[in-house]
Amino acid sequence: MSDLRVLFVAHNHPTLHPGGAEAYALELYEGMRETPGVDPLLLARIGSNVARRRVAHPGTPFSAVNGDPGQYFVFTETEHFDFFTLTSRDKALYSRHLTDFLLAHRPDVVHLQHTHFIGVDLLSQIRRVLPEAAIVYTLHEFLPICHRDGQMVRTFDDDLCPEASPRRCNECFPELSPQAFFLRERFVKGHFANVDRFLAPSAQLMEKYVRWGIDEERIEVEEYGRLTPAARAGAPRQSREPTNIGFFGQLSRFKGAEVMLDAMAMLEEDSNAHLWLNGANLDLQSEEFQAMFAERHAELRDRITFRGPYDHDELPRLMEDLHWVIVPSIWWENSPLVIQEAFFHGRPIICSDVGGMAEKVRDGVDGLHFRAGDAWSLARTIEKATGSPQLWKKLREGIEEPYAMDQHIERLRELYTETIDSRKAVGVDA
Amino acid sequence: MPRATVAEKRLRKALDQDDDALRELLREEYASLDAEARADLMHRLAKSAAGRTSGSPTLSARLHGVREVLRERLPISVIDERQPIGLAVEQILGIDERSFWINGWARDLEGGGRIAVVSPEGCRVDLGDLAFRFERPDVVRFYAGLGPTDDRDHGFTAFFELPAPSRLATGWVVELHTADGAAVEVLGPPVETDPQIARASILGELDARGPLTGPLAVEHGRFALSRLQERIVSEAEIDTVDVYGEPPEAPEVSIVVPLYRRLDFLEHQLLHFSVDPEVAEAELIFVLDSVEQSAELRDRARELFALYGLPFRVVNPTAGSGYAGANRHGVEVATGSKLLLLNSDVIPDRPGWLGEMCRFYDAGDGIGALGAKLLYEDDSLQHAGLYFHQLPGTGSWENAHRFKGLHRSFPAAEVAQPVPAVTAACVLVDRERYEEVGGLPLHYVQGDYEDSELCLRLAAAGYENWYLPSAELYHLEGQSYVAEARRGLSDYNMWLHSQLWGETIAAVMERFDPHTAAGA
Repeated sequence: MSDLRVLFVAHNHPTLHPGGAEAYALELYEGMRETPGVDPLLLARIGSNVARRRVAHPGTPFSAVNGDPGQYFVFTETEHFDFFTLTSRDKALYSRHLTDFLLAHRPDVVHLQHTHFIGVDLLSQIRRVLPEAAIVYTLHEFLPICHRDGQMVRTFDDDLCPEASPRRCNECFPELSPQAFFLRERFVKGHFANVDRFLAPSAQLMEKYVRWGIDEERIEVEEYGRLTPAARAGAPRQSREPTNIGFFGQLSRFKGAEVMLDAMAMLEEDSNAHLWLNGANLDLQSEEFQAMFAERHAELRDRITFRGPYDHDELPRLMEDLHWVIVPSIWWENSPLVIQEAFFHGRPIICSDVGGMAEKVRDGVDGLHFRAGDAWSLARTIEKATGSPQLWKKLREGIEEPYAMDQHIERLRELYTETIDSRKAVGVDA
Repeated sequence: MPRATVAEKRLRKALDQDDDALRELLREEYASLDAEARADLMHRLAKSAAGRTSGSPTLSARLHGVREVLRERLPISVIDERQPIGLAVEQILGIDERSFWINGWARDLEGGGRIAVVSPEGCRVDLGDLAFRFERPDVVRFYAGLGPTDDRDHGFTAFFELPAPSRLATGWVVELHTADGAAVEVLGPPVETDPQIARASILGELDARGPLTGPLAVEHGRFALSRLQERIVSEAEIDTVDVYGEPPEAPEVSIVVPLYRRLDFLEHQLLHFSVDPEVAEAELIFVLDSVEQSAELRDRARELFALYGLPFRVVNPTAGSGYAGANRHGVEVATGSKLLLLNSDVIPDRPGWLGEMCRFYDAGDGIGALGAKLLYEDDSLQHAGLYFHQLPGTGSWENAHRFKGLHRSFPAAEVAQPVPAVTAACVLVDRERYEEVGGLPLHYVQGDYEDSELCLRLAAAGYENWYLPSAELYHLEGQSYVAEARRGLSDYNMWLHSQLWGETIAAVMERFDPHTAAGA
């Protein structure tokens, strides 16, 4: 039997744009490459917003990546992408270029990690061009549902949004009519109809997509699998002050940066908590946000240290001195990779009590929850965390090993085979 | 033979000869006639010369030459707040070659002065009893220094017809003859012949002179607007038909979709149509009513066809002609025995709707128009059949939607039944029956009532209009033809609709209960 050809499609390549979904997509491709019986390909979108210069060759959007015959860039113009309807205005991208690519490789499975910057039309085109191929789609956030960067957070008060509808979406974007949101939803769903299997890394994300209209039969929870890092951080020194709390990720509003800074300001005078910010993309935030950050950082210089962007490889070293990791997002999150990483290094987590954070961190077992968006609640939780070495020890012992990439790959291979078989069983409806 | 007839005959002959002969004849024989006789001669000549053939600009120019020789010139009206007599013509609109619309004002001491217009070719029309007169506060103020007059209705507006076509933009003369024998004249402004501009001006004038259903509309506006509408539609012809893919051979149904400005709807419809085999068997015709977008539409259509592979045609008319006009062009190229008229902002809820409608239509006995269940984006009912509601105090009937705003599953809206009318946002009709009744009417201004009139015509021809709830589509009402310049228009359209169909409607509504389902 020949190898299973699996094409992964990602909206960015991690070498160009760091991000959780990107990092996972590359890890998954690398993991599959090491797996006998699987012949993986990675097609990662590249474009003017991430590349320093146009990398596409004349007449084709495709180019090889770092000499690896299994990895490709597909170049799409950012300005051709309709961020509202999630489609490329350049339809030849699908009808010509991506069609050529699909026919050249004829994958048995197309596993999409994302369709952003490429467009949901790709799903229909895969089905037209390769009627037998299994189409699997991993959902990383709520972009198909929510126009506000897929966060499902209301625009006017940053409240969490449990459910989209044309009327509610229009409340968030008064300049866009309910009818426009209706068309958007129908358009995305029209293309999503070609997906055989949706994967949701968290149950809460799956629930929201089911409520939105994806049939329960077509979606299942499958956590991100992670490659085992080369090194594990040792245990932090216990006796000495201060108690170190680490933040990893983008310093942005949705990631709870303000809540975290406010909470640090609300700690009791004698608190020994110290916050280490390992954060990227501060320069991409609004000027207002950057000014707020600078001001807070100056006020709390003795409690907060800003360490700036970091490389994934540096994690063990950065974790070394930390006791806790904090995930204070004000949006639902999906399954934050930093939770898996903290757990791998044996660090209990302080997180918001909503969405993927509440689901992946068990309050009182391997971490502590605080009321999402509530700085006072976070301050009290930090005081509780830093006040009791026994608690820290108990929670550290409660941590379970994160889902490993090899288990994940095994499950995916089963799922690919099931999907291919069920497509054959019903007869290809091309 | 009376002298006037002899003169007319001689002049007709001279008109066919060279200019010098004509001029000589005029000077020598007719310049000495009295003013009235000359005016009469001019009028007869213009009428017979231009009226017999379709006329030509050359003939008009020669007739104008005759008029300039024969015409009795009156003193030019001077607009001066110390002069008791004043005449001004602000606008002359060409409705068609023989009918015109004039706006202006005339002021004289006693009031009751008569206004006459003389066409460039010499035809004379007395607007005395014809014109709609109204108060012009600006004119009253202007002449305030002369003291008040009994008659304050200085303004005049009129739709009038000439006995023969007039084709010259300049050369109109308007005269004012006062009761005590004084007379002045002014040269009219160039005639505005663009039908869209003329229509907008008239609508503005109707709107300014009280309700759009008042006497100005009844006696003037209605005629002018109907003719302009017909002209706008008839002047638009099919320019090109772009073909994408191979349209199905001998299709049963032709789907006709006018596109107006919102070209993005095309992509949405193609996406949802492409997954419905019954739609793929039908013939799909888009008609571009916003003709300035033809290049943009071509680019999009080509790319979208390459993506979806669903064959369709795009009809490009020479000019925009509105919803009914665009449908007319679509029907012109349609080959199916059934027509499915569809708005571009209608998106099916799921595949199968077209087959449902066709089977129901065929199983029915003498169905005229068959409408579908249309939904808003929030799953409330947009359309479950139309009925007519008489507005208290006016006698006018407005189109009303049964169960509008109620949930899509509202039980009474789940019953297939005859209804007074259905919306043309989605309507299936047999092509022969459609043509038998003359299709969608063209006389409404930016529509609303085309669909109900079509249904009333079908009903009058003995067919029954039906509502079918199992065909469910979304209608993003008001998104396709954007509501612009529509203030008051629907009042006018409603009034026209009621004028034409009021009796039929009353009879239909005698037998129809809009609040319950049939048989309930």
